[in-house]
Amino acid sequence: MLQASHLRKEFGSVVAVRDVSFEIPSGTTFGLLGPNGAGKTTTMRMVVGIYAPDGGTVTWNGAPIDERVRRRFGYLPEERGLYGKMKVRDQIVYFGRLHGLLDTDAKARADHWIEQLGLQQYAVRPCSELSKGNQQKVQVACAAVHDPELLILDEPFSGLDPVNADVLLATLNDLKRRGTSLVLSSHQMWQLEQICDRFCIITGGENRAGGSLAQLRAGWPTRVIKVEPSTDAVRNVMQSVSGSHALPGENGALYYQVPANTEFPQLLRALVQADAITRFDAMEPSLQDIYIHTISRGQAD
Amino acid sequence: MMRRLQSRTFWIGLLLGLAGVLVMMKLPAFIDSYTAQTNKTLLAGDPALLARAKPLLAKDFPTAGELGPLHRAPTIAELRARGATSVIALSQDAHGLHVVVYAEDPSVAQPSQLRRDLLPLNLQMQTHLPESQVHALIQIPVDVRSVSEKFGTVAAANAAKIIAYVLLVLLYVLIIINSQLIMSSVAEEKTSRIAELLVASVRPSSLLAAKVGASATLAIVQMIVWVASAYAFGMHTAPVASRSGDSDVTFSLNGISPGDIAGFVIFFLLGFLQMATLFGAVGSLINRTEDLGSVSGPLFIPVIAAFFIALAALDVPNSPAVVVTSFIPLIAPFVMFARIVVSNVPFWQVALSFVINAAAIWGIALLGGKIYRIGMLLYGRPPRFAQIVHLLRS
Repeated sequence: MLQASHLRKEFGSVVAVRDVSFEIPSGTTFGLLGPNGAGKTTTMRMVVGIYAPDGGTVTWNGAPIDERVRRRFGYLPEERGLYGKMKVRDQIVYFGRLHGLLDTDAKARADHWIEQLGLQQYAVRPCSELSKGNQQKVQVACAAVHDPELLILDEPFSGLDPVNADVLLATLNDLKRRGTSLVLSSHQMWQLEQICDRFCIITGGENRAGGSLAQLRAGWPTRVIKVEPSTDAVRNVMQSVSGSHALPGENGALYYQVPANTEFPQLLRALVQADAITRFDAMEPSLQDIYIHTISRGQAD
Repeated sequence: MMRRLQSRTFWIGLLLGLAGVLVMMKLPAFIDSYTAQTNKTLLAGDPALLARAKPLLAKDFPTAGELGPLHRAPTIAELRARGATSVIALSQDAHGLHVVVYAEDPSVAQPSQLRRDLLPLNLQMQTHLPESQVHALIQIPVDVRSVSEKFGTVAAANAAKIIAYVLLVLLYVLIIINSQLIMSSVAEEKTSRIAELLVASVRPSSLLAAKVGASATLAIVQMIVWVASAYAFGMHTAPVASRSGDSDVTFSLNGISPGDIAGFVIFFLLGFLQMATLFGAVGSLINRTEDLGSVSGPLFIPVIAAFFIALAALDVPNSPAVVVTSFIPLIAPFVMFARIVVSNVPFWQVALSFVINAAAIWGIALLGGKIYRIGMLLYGRPPRFAQIVHLLRS
C-alpha cells in the first residue's frame, strides 16, 4: 500500500503542495484530480522520489521510498521525452536495464510491450520518426517495462487520438487485472471514471475530496431527475418535491434537480398516478460534475 | 557506456583522433622538408670566396645558385625567377668577412646561425692559420653531465620534454573532447525532456557518476587505441630538433617509463573526473543546445590555464609558482604530470597533490550532483548564479 501523509513542498516563497494525504491499497487504480497548478505533478514527483517533501511522508508497504523501493515503481511524467536517435526497442530495453532488469529479461519485456501496444512495425526505427501518439506509447512501455508494482502516469491520455486512447485504456485495464497499482492524473474524466477505483481531488495544494466514486456521490447533495412526458401533471408533481427546481428540458423530457435524500420510489409512484410515465431516471452525478463542483467550492473558499 | 560505444560520434571521434595523431607525428618532418625546399638562398660575391663559404653554409642554408658581386639590392621578382627567397652577399675587407642578407622575409635571415657557420672562415681570413688549426680553436669540448637521477644525458632530458609535451596535448584533447561530449549528452536529455523519466528511474547523482565513469573508461580506450596505433605505424621513434640546435634528439615512446605512464593515467583520471563532473552538472542547466558554447566557455579557462602552466613547468618544474599550482584542483593534473616527467618530484608532493585532487573530486561530485539534480528539472530561462546558489542551499 502507498501511503502519503500530509505532504508539503515549497519552492522558495511558492507553496506548491500545502497538505495532501491519501492511501492507495495494493492493486487499486487511483485518480489524482485537480486543475492546472493544483500540485498534482509535484505530489507525483514526491511519491516517485524525484523531490524530497518539505513536510510529511511517503511510504510503500510501510517502508520509506528509497532507491530499492523506487526501482519497483514506474513513472510516466507529464513532460514527455525520448532519445530521438535511439531505436524504439533499444530505448525500452535501456529503461528496463535502468530499472535493474537483466539484458535478456529487458529484451523479452520490451518485445512484450512492443506487441501489447501495437508497435511491431516501428521496433527498429528511431523514435524521432514516430508520430506523437506512437511516441507516447513508447514512453508508456519505458515506464512499465520492468513490470512495476506501482505505475504512476501523469496525464497519460493527453495528446492521444480516440483510437490510441482506447489502446492505452485497454493496456491500463490489463495492468490492473494483473494487480499493478496505478496512479493516474488526467483531465479526461470519462476515462478516469472508467478505470479508477478511488479518487483524490486536490486544489491549491490541499485535499478537497476523496474516496470511491460511490463515496463521492454519497456526499453529493442533489440528484437530477429526467422524466417523460413533459406534461403539466408531471410538472406539478415534480414541483411539489421539497427543494426541487427545474432545469432546462430537452427532446420532450423534463429535468429537475432534487435533494439527494428524496424518496425516489414514492416520487415515482406519485408520477405514475399523475400521468402515463414513459421515462423516469434518477441520475447520479458524474465524476465531472463532482470535480467541477468540488473545484468551484475550493476556489470559493 | 554501451550507448556511447555504439554511437557513430564515438567511432568518428576515435578515427579522427587517430588520423590526427598520425598527422601530428608526420607533420614536423613534412614541414621541415617543405620549408627546406621552399626557403632556398642565393650566394653572391667573389667566386673564390663563395667556394670557401659554400661548404660551411650548405647544412643550414640550402642554395639555389650563385651570383657575382652585387651592386644593388635584388628585387623580389629577381629572387623568385631564380627559385630563391633570399640572397647572402659575401665580401671581404680589412676587418675580415662582411655579410649582407637580402630577404623577402627578414625573419628567416638567422644572423646568429650565419655568424656561427662562417666563424671558421672569418678566423682563417683574419689569422691566416691553417684550416685544421682554426677548427681545433673553435671546437671547444663541452661535456654536459647530469646531476639528476632522472636523466643520464642531455638527449634523454630533451626527449622527456618532448614526450611530456605530446602527452600534455593528449591529456588536454581527451579532457576537452570527452567533457564536452558529457555536457552535450546531458543537454540532449534535458532538451528532449527525457530527464524526468531518467531521474525517476535512477538517482541523479548515480546517473551523473555513471556518465562520467563511462566517459572516462572510453577516453582511456581512445588513448590506448591512439598510442598503440602510433606505435604500430612505426611512429614510436622520430628525430626531432633539439631546442639548442647543438644536437639531434630522438623522440621515442620507448623512453616513457612505467612511472610516467602511471602518472599520466592517474592524473588524467583526476583531471578528467573533475572536469567531466563539472561539465555534466553545468550541462543540466541548459535548456537549448545552442547555449552549450556560451555556458561551457568559462569552464575552459582553468583547463587552458593549466595547459600553459604545464608547458612552463617543462622548463622550470620546481619554480615556486609551478610547485604551488601542482596542488590546485583542475590545474594540478596537468602541472603535476609535467613535473613528474621532467624532474624528480618529492614523493610527498605527488601524494599530497593526489590526495587534494581526489578530495576535490569528491567535493565537485557532491556539488555537481546537486546542480545536476536541480538543473535537470529546471526549465524556462537559464537560472542566474544567485538562483543556483539559493536552490543549492534550499
